[in-house]
Amino acid sequence: MSTPDPITLEVVHNALDSIADEMALVLMRTAFSPVVRDSMDYSTGFCDRHGQMVAQGLTTALHLGSFPDMMSVLCKKYAGSMRDGDLFVLNDPYGSGGMHLPDIYIVKPLFFGGSVEGYAATLVHHTDMGGITPGSTAVHATEIFQEGFRIPLMRLSDAGEENDVLLTLLAANVRVPDKVLGDIRAQIASCHGAARAFTALLARYGCTLVRQCIDRLHEISEAHMRETISALPDGTYRFEDYIDGFGVDPVPIKFCVAVAVSGDTVTVDWTGTSPQVAAAINAPGPFIRSATYVAFRCLVSARIPNTVGYMRPIHVIAPVGTIVNPRFPAACNARGIVGFRAIDTLMGALSQAAPQRVYAAGEGGATNPSIGGMHDGKPFVFTETILGSWGGRPDSDGLDGAANLAANQSNQPVETLECNAPIEIVDYALALNSSGPGKYRGGMAVRRTYRVLAESGVFTLRSDRRSHLPYGLQGGYSGTPSYTVILREGKTKMLPVLPQDKIDVQRGDVIVHVQPGGGGFGSPLERDPALVLEDVLDGRITVEYARGVYGVVVADCELDWVETIKQREVLRMDRPQGHGQLHLDHFARSFGMDAAGNVFGTALSSMH
Amino acid sequence: MKSNAVGTRYRVAVDIGGTFTDFVLRGSEGQLLTYKLSSTTDDYGRAIVQGLRSLSAEHGFAPEQVVEIVHGTTVGANTVLEGKGAKTALITTHGFRDVLELRRVRLAELYNMNYVRSAPLVQRRYRYEVRERINFRGDVVTPLNVEDLERALELVAKSGAESVAICLLHSYANAAHEKLVEQRAREVLPADCFVSASYRVLPEIQEYERTSTTVINAYIGPAIRRYCQRLRESLSEAGFHAPIQIMQSSGGILSIDEVLQHPAQILESGPAAGVIGAATVGIRWGEPNLLTVDMGGTTAKAALIEDGRPGKTNEYEVGAGINVSSKLVKGRGHALKLPVIDISEIGAGGGSIARVSSHATLSVGPDSAGAAPGPACYCLGGNAATLTDAMVALGYVNPRYLIGGALKISFQDAVRALQNDVAHQLNLPLLEAAHGVYTLAATTMTRAVKAVSTFRGRDPRDFTLFAFGGNGPLMAAEIASALDIKRIRIPRFAGLFSAVGLLNARMEREVSRTWLRSMEGLAYDEVEQQFRLLEADLWESCRSLERSDQMKLQRQADLRYHGQAFELTVDVLPSGADNAIRIRKAFAKEHLRTYGHGAEEDPMDLVTLRVVASLPAEAGMVEDGSGLATGEAGSSRRVYFGPHFQSVETPVLHRGALEGGIDGPLVIEEHDTTILVPPAWKAMLGSEASVILERSAK
Repeated sequence: MSTPDPITLEVVHNALDSIADEMALVLMRTAFSPVVRDSMDYSTGFCDRHGQMVAQGLTTALHLGSFPDMMSVLCKKYAGSMRDGDLFVLNDPYGSGGMHLPDIYIVKPLFFGGSVEGYAATLVHHTDMGGITPGSTAVHATEIFQEGFRIPLMRLSDAGEENDVLLTLLAANVRVPDKVLGDIRAQIASCHGAARAFTALLARYGCTLVRQCIDRLHEISEAHMRETISALPDGTYRFEDYIDGFGVDPVPIKFCVAVAVSGDTVTVDWTGTSPQVAAAINAPGPFIRSATYVAFRCLVSARIPNTVGYMRPIHVIAPVGTIVNPRFPAACNARGIVGFRAIDTLMGALSQAAPQRVYAAGEGGATNPSIGGMHDGKPFVFTETILGSWGGRPDSDGLDGAANLAANQSNQPVETLECNAPIEIVDYALALNSSGPGKYRGGMAVRRTYRVLAESGVFTLRSDRRSHLPYGLQGGYSGTPSYTVILREGKTKMLPVLPQDKIDVQRGDVIVHVQPGGGGFGSPLERDPALVLEDVLDGRITVEYARGVYGVVVADCELDWVETIKQREVLRMDRPQGHGQLHLDHFARSFGMDAAGNVFGTALSSMH
Repeated sequence: MKSNAVGTRYRVAVDIGGTFTDFVLRGSEGQLLTYKLSSTTDDYGRAIVQGLRSLSAEHGFAPEQVVEIVHGTTVGANTVLEGKGAKTALITTHGFRDVLELRRVRLAELYNMNYVRSAPLVQRRYRYEVRERINFRGDVVTPLNVEDLERALELVAKSGAESVAICLLHSYANAAHEKLVEQRAREVLPADCFVSASYRVLPEIQEYERTSTTVINAYIGPAIRRYCQRLRESLSEAGFHAPIQIMQSSGGILSIDEVLQHPAQILESGPAAGVIGAATVGIRWGEPNLLTVDMGGTTAKAALIEDGRPGKTNEYEVGAGINVSSKLVKGRGHALKLPVIDISEIGAGGGSIARVSSHATLSVGPDSAGAAPGPACYCLGGNAATLTDAMVALGYVNPRYLIGGALKISFQDAVRALQNDVAHQLNLPLLEAAHGVYTLAATTMTRAVKAVSTFRGRDPRDFTLFAFGGNGPLMAAEIASALDIKRIRIPRFAGLFSAVGLLNARMEREVSRTWLRSMEGLAYDEVEQQFRLLEADLWESCRSLERSDQMKLQRQADLRYHGQAFELTVDVLPSGADNAIRIRKAFAKEHLRTYGHGAEEDPMDLVTLRVVASLPAEAGMVEDGSGLATGEAGSSRRVYFGPHFQSVETPVLHRGALEGGIDGPLVIEEHDTTILVPPAWKAMLGSEASVILERSAK
């Protein structure tokens, strides 16, 4: 096949990227649920005629890496039988290429001149899929049958004829059918938009030339990834990290990776990772592959086409029966946390191969709270993602309050949230003394506090990183732990990171969540004292913290250089004696917690 | 030419850009004068006074003959971009001082571990909290804590802040607490401290966007105040006492005194003017549907005009460099949720640098050689190959000089840079390489055009391309071909058309209010009542204007399907003429057009009501074409039109020679711009000496 000229190639590349972005915009603007339009928990991609992804909407990286698996199932099953006007739908992780039930994929084959020339693919995290709790992300589900409505890969539309049976069944099985069906309409509108734009592109350049360009984009993308891998020294890099575990007495869940770099290819082996568990945090295979691709894609510094090409040199081994490749019918609705931890683990390994590129662990993934129940005689479901902070970087601080690279999502505005759900947001802020110290510190933890205004409801939570903290790198300290406290009638109760019991809430209950703070990069004693002063003046850390952790002495809003030099000398001598604990004590006190771990209700409002 | 009678009165438009300050004057007898000089970046006003003095000397009119000065300026946007605004404090609800910093937390990019954002405009230490709470219905849940307020104001005073923003939760539903804070701030703080409360700036739901907009207003307020005062003084010292009007980002004009109340409204004053100009002439020429392309030295801007009205948006962002019209890439700068003409900007201009990567892929921009060191062919120290160099090498741009000789061009340097940076590395002949750079720049601009058209459900083929700016008319045909657009218009004075646009701006005011109601069972009387209140507010603020009796009011409503978050705007008919059913139909139709589906029976919510008051511009530019240069400008030269057409000996003409229509290839050279007419396009002279290009064959 001949090579297209570089100019046409770039024109087609731009056009395909525009299509994927246009799909994302149309989806967001027409969606019905706050999860999609405010949190932006959805993704769009464009695939070539073989079902190979060739462009990604500017959406969520952890979703996008899952498209290849789903597309290969679809192409195999329906090869030769697709017709113009078909739409395909799925959410089932077992056999259909899905990840967990709330994520519904809708795919439209795009016909031109009688044959399929491409596919528009969308994924939306739906507000509710039925199952044992509102929001369908209950950690305490033990098998998929408790998790909601399963949709094996099937037609949503058959040559333009909509599958009413499926939609009727779906509507009857979810708590908020108007939102779910509204978001499905948005997915369909997005696919139709792609069809219009792609047809125009083919009409102008012809199928042959566009196909050649697409092949070339895959090649370029792959070549860049091979170059990136080649730049890493050959060898095997290992790392371990943990999810704290679920329930009141959690057993840590281990992530174990061996990254074997050999020339321009790499094998990422997850052998040694914990077996699947009897809770909804098992992640079916597509997700671990997606997480692996995201980590490596972040290492490529050039602007490259976001096609499956960059995934080709990466070989993933995920043993069956582990939490990263569970056997049917393991529950998986709260599986997101596995992807985040897998990326943290993989980045830990890569930091050995590329110490000046990789940053310390961030917050470790979004927190997912859901509250559902009855209010004013009508069912309501509130669910959102709390997005956190980055780890310290080789040459700059971690971002305070920024989406995780793997899940580029957004927050729900407090004012619209309060309009839509019987909930008051009491505060939304960065938490005092909450970053992992380092030459470049981690991002500060995000805190969000809810007051329940509904008569009654059920609260579910997916969080992590209370005992296994976000790691620091190159002498940087770990980040700070996450806490979730429920306050009722003056009494406080600390909730597990992944509660296994149904948590009933009632009007007036206050739930405080503080996310983990990011890990630090480099020794805190090497941090520029001027930056420490700035953090003190900005109320990000206290004067005591600056002195105790950074050895920086601030008096009357100014640096005391003489005392700082002395104090740093003292700390240098002291460091071997477990000094890394001190910042955690400061943080715990800021949170209103005593040495025994008791939380004081009165202190809950004073930490930002 | 000192033929101007003593009685002639002039309206003056001045557009300040990063490189040039452009003047267009319209005399009461219909004559048009133009002038261009280098901007004085240390004190922009100096160039204005200088220019006016030169013009009055050259054309023999006295300062008193200037009766109005209309001004477009980028001073607001630059203040934010350069971080040179006032030291600003923020007073907000307890628990929410980080809203400004957290923004919407989303990133504008995937996979970038070195991601950076612009720092918040108010440092955390100057954000103060007060205990109070109002809910979304407007009910007071927690009364304003007076001690908190006194303490906060004490700290504001102590901090030495020159400006203070006030934004409390749900103040769009009930501004009582904000008003208390505002009133007390004015009492306690020094008189010259700028105070800006969100209920005045943007009484709309969504706390980050409202806070950010209010903070921007406070941050640029003092700078704009100084700028306006200084401008007024220096003009007045030079004898020009005419009232000064300034263009808003939304396209209407405001008097200086009004600007001082709402500085954030002139943030994108500059780019708006050209679009307004295009809309106005478009209506006169029977071309109400236009896609505008404005390309200068560093960026290209695209906008959409439908039924003579420019598209507007309130999803804008400042301080992040280039503004692409897409919510997907927001998050790097500061949100500005005020009506702004929906302009999509892209880093492609004459100075954009061309590069070849290690994998033999070619890119053009977004980095630019700017005006200094500039393209290699300027011989001002620039060595990198730029788009302008490519256009010189291809024969599109005069190989010896630009701006009537004011700028020398070196053909050899253009060729050398392209040979080194592009042709050699791609192993392509020089002309093919140069043509590649040109095509790719057009492709990049095509994305900007798509962002305002296809991304919003509009088909570019239904529009005429309207090209202006120094480089727009050179790229127009290529962009049109890429989007299958068959007709192009290029106005007279295309190179300084933004200044022309200023003369066409209408006086415009807008008031709006978030008024969240379900359309189901809503009595239209209630809506009518709300509109009347808004209209009363508007009349109050417009009463003092000249010609206020000619004021036109337009009601609008933003609606969405129940459960959606993004609204579409529909026009509402005047008092007594409208009803809920018609509004439902209009919304469903608009939704169908934008997103491909719409049903009038589905539940809808009314979100925002708005009234826009406007005064039509006094007659704008009407050019009869007299005084147009005719005939051949420089006989002919070899011009390369791509692999298919190759190099062709091409006539170089003046616009006046087009009478009756001439088939391409052609180059039309003018003082302020160059128009390229490729083969398969035909050029004709249209009304008001505009140039029409039509594609004669595919």
